[in-house]
Amino acid sequence: MNAVLLARVHRAPVAVLAILVLSASLLIAGLPRMMQAAYDDALGHLLDQTSATQTDLLIGRSPATTLDVLTEPAQFATANQTWWRLLPPELRAVTDQGPGSRAHYNAKTAGTPVAGLLGRRAMSGQFVNLGWLSDADRRVRFVRGTPPGPAGRISVPDHPDIPRLDIALVEQASKRMNLPIGTVLVLGHSNPVAARVTAIFEPLDATDRYWHHNEDMLNVSVRVKPSGDDETHITSLTSADSLLSLAGGARLLTYQWVIPVRSSAVNARNADSLIGSVARYIDRARIEGSVAGYAPQTGLTTLLSGFLDRLRAAETLLVLLFGGLLAVSLGVIALAVQLVGERTHHALSLMRARGGSLGQLVGTGVGLVALVTVPAVLLGYGAAFLVPGPVTPIVHVGPLVIGLTAIVFCAAQVAASHRRPLRDRRDDMIARRPSIRRLTLEVIVVVVALVGAYLLRNRGLTTSEPDPFLMMVPVALTVAAALITVRCYPYPLRLIVALVTRRRTAVPFLGFALAARARAFSALPVLILLPALAVSVFAAVISSGLNATQSDVAWQRTGADARIESTVEISPEAIERVRRVPGVTAVVPASKSPVQVGRGGTVGTGLAVDLAAYRAILAGTPLSVPEPPTSATASEVPALVSPELIGNATLLVGWQKQMTVVPKGIVAAMPVLGRELRNVVVVPFDANERVGARTTVNTLFIKGTGLDGRRLSEAAALAVTPVSVTVEEELDRITATPLAGTVQWTLLVVTAALTAYALLAVLIMLVIGAAERGTALSFLRTLGMPERQARGLTVLEIAPMIVLTTLAGLLLGLVLPVALGPGIDLSVYAGDLPVKDYPIDLITPALLAGGVAVVAVLGAFAHAAVSHRRALGSVLRVGES
Amino acid sequence: MTETPTLSELEAQAVRGRPAFGETAHILCDNLVRIFKTEGVEVVALQGLDLLIEKGELIAIVGASGSGKSTLLNVLSGLDVPTAGLARVAGTDLLSMTAKDRLRYRRETVGFIWQQTARNLLPYLTGRENVVLPMRLAGNRAQKSRAGELLDLLGVGDCADRRPGEMSGGEQQRVAIAVALANSPEVILADEPTGELDSDTSEQVFAALRSANRALGVTAVIVTHDDLVSEQVDRTVGIRDGRTSSETLRRASEDGGTIAEEYAVLDRVGRLQLPRDFTSALNMERRVRLELERDHIGVWPEGSEDE
Repeated sequence: MNAVLLARVHRAPVAVLAILVLSASLLIAGLPRMMQAAYDDALGHLLDQTSATQTDLLIGRSPATTLDVLTEPAQFATANQTWWRLLPPELRAVTDQGPGSRAHYNAKTAGTPVAGLLGRRAMSGQFVNLGWLSDADRRVRFVRGTPPGPAGRISVPDHPDIPRLDIALVEQASKRMNLPIGTVLVLGHSNPVAARVTAIFEPLDATDRYWHHNEDMLNVSVRVKPSGDDETHITSLTSADSLLSLAGGARLLTYQWVIPVRSSAVNARNADSLIGSVARYIDRARIEGSVAGYAPQTGLTTLLSGFLDRLRAAETLLVLLFGGLLAVSLGVIALAVQLVGERTHHALSLMRARGGSLGQLVGTGVGLVALVTVPAVLLGYGAAFLVPGPVTPIVHVGPLVIGLTAIVFCAAQVAASHRRPLRDRRDDMIARRPSIRRLTLEVIVVVVALVGAYLLRNRGLTTSEPDPFLMMVPVALTVAAALITVRCYPYPLRLIVALVTRRRTAVPFLGFALAARARAFSALPVLILLPALAVSVFAAVISSGLNATQSDVAWQRTGADARIESTVEISPEAIERVRRVPGVTAVVPASKSPVQVGRGGTVGTGLAVDLAAYRAILAGTPLSVPEPPTSATASEVPALVSPELIGNATLLVGWQKQMTVVPKGIVAAMPVLGRELRNVVVVPFDANERVGARTTVNTLFIKGTGLDGRRLSEAAALAVTPVSVTVEEELDRITATPLAGTVQWTLLVVTAALTAYALLAVLIMLVIGAAERGTALSFLRTLGMPERQARGLTVLEIAPMIVLTTLAGLLLGLVLPVALGPGIDLSVYAGDLPVKDYPIDLITPALLAGGVAVVAVLGAFAHAAVSHRRALGSVLRVGES
Repeated sequence: MTETPTLSELEAQAVRGRPAFGETAHILCDNLVRIFKTEGVEVVALQGLDLLIEKGELIAIVGASGSGKSTLLNVLSGLDVPTAGLARVAGTDLLSMTAKDRLRYRRETVGFIWQQTARNLLPYLTGRENVVLPMRLAGNRAQKSRAGELLDLLGVGDCADRRPGEMSGGEQQRVAIAVALANSPEVILADEPTGELDSDTSEQVFAALRSANRALGVTAVIVTHDDLVSEQVDRTVGIRDGRTSSETLRRASEDGGTIAEEYAVLDRVGRLQLPRDFTSALNMERRVRLELERDHIGVWPEGSEDE
């Protein structure tokens, strides 16, 4: 028979099928693209956030003898060509040699002290290293003076006739180290050279990742000596003419070739193969340069390996959600195909009776479904390309699976219902009792699901090799719950029936009796409705767990409403300026520093803070800190220590001065320091003063409202810009990561899609059973039941199934995170803090499940209302035909 | 020297000259049994039914609701498979048919008409398209002309381009007869074809069946409750409790009227169903006494004395 004609006649169910196939194809092809894009973005984000010194390939060399010294740029260029030539093709594809790339080579000295200045006294603790960049002409601009010129020789006091070379400094170094243009420095105590400051330069683009490799040329680094005095270090820029003078027995000279990796070219898909390529490259470069002492290195391998480990954990959740969505969408599509089959059953039966072969019937059914499915799949597949993201195999396979499922299910359904002679069964016979074989099978499924859940909790899903059995556990749990629901559904209803029997009105009794005594309702709607609700409730619970953890992490990392943490001391004046920032209500200063714990040289963390004041500003926040330790005498330093240190009666702590502290209690967790503390000592704010040293404030915990990290930082006006962050900013940072953003979005899409599917499943089920229900009700109406009561009866008949399945789905959705929780690592979405607790926030899931149930029951009511508009005679006729 | 034949040889010799039961019949049911079974419950719809129908006959099958007549028709139409016994239609054994045989049987041997007019036709096809459908399913070249001829023969030529919704109930049933006849079957089976129709329309539909029977030589079996139909066929077979219980034969009388004679059916093993009102009237229960007379068999209630 003509499939187009059939499609035209049964346009409503066919349209439902088309919409379902289209939306499922779009979701199944689109979501992985979105997820993959997020994975790629996450990796790109990670690479961009990481210093180029870690992400790029570096070949370093320290010339051991004067013979190894490279004196000409051409020598560097020759070596450079070698390093590029050794790149494996797949690695070459992600490196960047084009114009404007970071590819360059340099020569720098390290720890070169200023031995003296010509004409004036040098400041102590100054180090000016010498540096040459192969592409300095394209990277810097000389703002004052003349660029470094050719080297020469000069006589200075104590050193007649030493090499002289020209250098340029950045403005910051020139000012801070008091080295204006014209200054002549004597560098190095042995084999000194004279360096003449001829120019001040600035980078053409200071934000370029190029400068990660040459950070030492742009910023003065300050190091605190054990004596408490500062050392200042800067690397100056010199010309190629000076290459010969850079070497010297006492100078630490290093050469470096930089092969930049384009972060945009590295993605989650090629990361694994890149790890191998990088390893091969390192081996080749090591062999090539082994004689001359070249040392290839990169942090890329570690970075990518770490990322892939985290990604596997992240993928687990998305795979579970995606699998749930796929299963439910296939189920609803199967239900829609069943609806189409129901509608075309008469035509196909007639065809069969009139001599149609099974092949012809299957051909007609499949033709109709294919006529709808194929364009819908193609449209969904095409629309998925509007979703930004790379194309992975699942993008092609997903829609194909959907289309094939619809067609194969249709073929199987038609074949099954028309294979045997038509009148092999009789409706007036009693229902089949469940066979022992089927009961055994169901019990096995339930047992396997429970065992699987137990194993999953113990082993976890995120081992290096994903266990397919464990991946199936959530599915098995859902199927087990559905089977139990189908099997046990009549029992609570029979109780209700027993109660309503005594009432005078017949409708509740009839409705519940119909529901309770009917043959176990079709398993398919339950198998759709239950997982749909379970997965969407699961998604909602995971989502709220993630939100809570993200917020918790933000608080933990910030330590208060806002925090300023500086590498240099925060003076009392600066503290006062911060206190005066609008919105700030309280500031608690603290000193946080690496300390030596005990006598064994163990390095730990010391925190000197007034815990009472800190507790006061944390009141009303999710954070808490322990009570301050009490001291017996004024000179004693009481301390809270991390659990492993509590056994000591006293503890030697090397801070600015050595102090002996008395452990008075345990500090198991502390904001900013983390949750699982080791070698941590928390002492009163004035602990250093009690032992005769001074307290160096470097951390401020700030309470206030409407705070802005940048304004706080500006108000502090410290010599080195501090880290200044508020809870909101930290939370934004966590949630703005591509993975966190995507997982929240995916959770939302999956929840919405599954809820819609659940509703559709109920409605399709209503339509499929409409004729049979119509017949039953029309008989009741002939006995004198008014139409209004008949409508109520439909709702009462359907509602128990919806309500019970919804409850089972809700319960399963709430239990799943608890059952699977330890097996799924969500820390990657929550700022690397393990998501341990899934707060049972009943409101969202209950609203979700309640909403589905109410809308489904309303749908049943509306359907009943529409069905009963037909004349009684026609209903009866429909029932009989 | 001549050998003395054994007893079995003598029996075989005696039977050899006689035709087997129903050998020449177009439709043969011999001890036909159909049991519907589900776990723990059995319903025996046919309990050893015997029936012989000759080629070209037009017969009616009557019986109370639940007597098994629809089951019989479903078995004959190949829609159902009997549990035991023998059922043969136009030389096809219905019990040993493969799926392929069953398909060919439906295509070439039988045509079927249901009671519900809506069930016989696809509502979105025109009358002609409905008639052409079985031909196309059978792989015959779609013969629009044959469809037209059939519709004309049955008096519904004007329904060729109308859809079932635009036809009366009687027209729909006549188009359904045309559909059943589309592939020139040897037998047509009709399950209460006039059940939903008024008497005038019933008359038209029955006339259409009769003209198909006469003009095309098709054997027609009609299950009916309609006296109008059952009283106009040559033979009416009554079914009770899954067995043929009576037959009514009609022949034209010399004065132009119709003479109907009702017979009880004697099956192959000699069983006879006595009409219930007969047994009730004489209070016959469980046992009766039989007496062989010269030209008949007498049946007396238990305990009665010979005259």
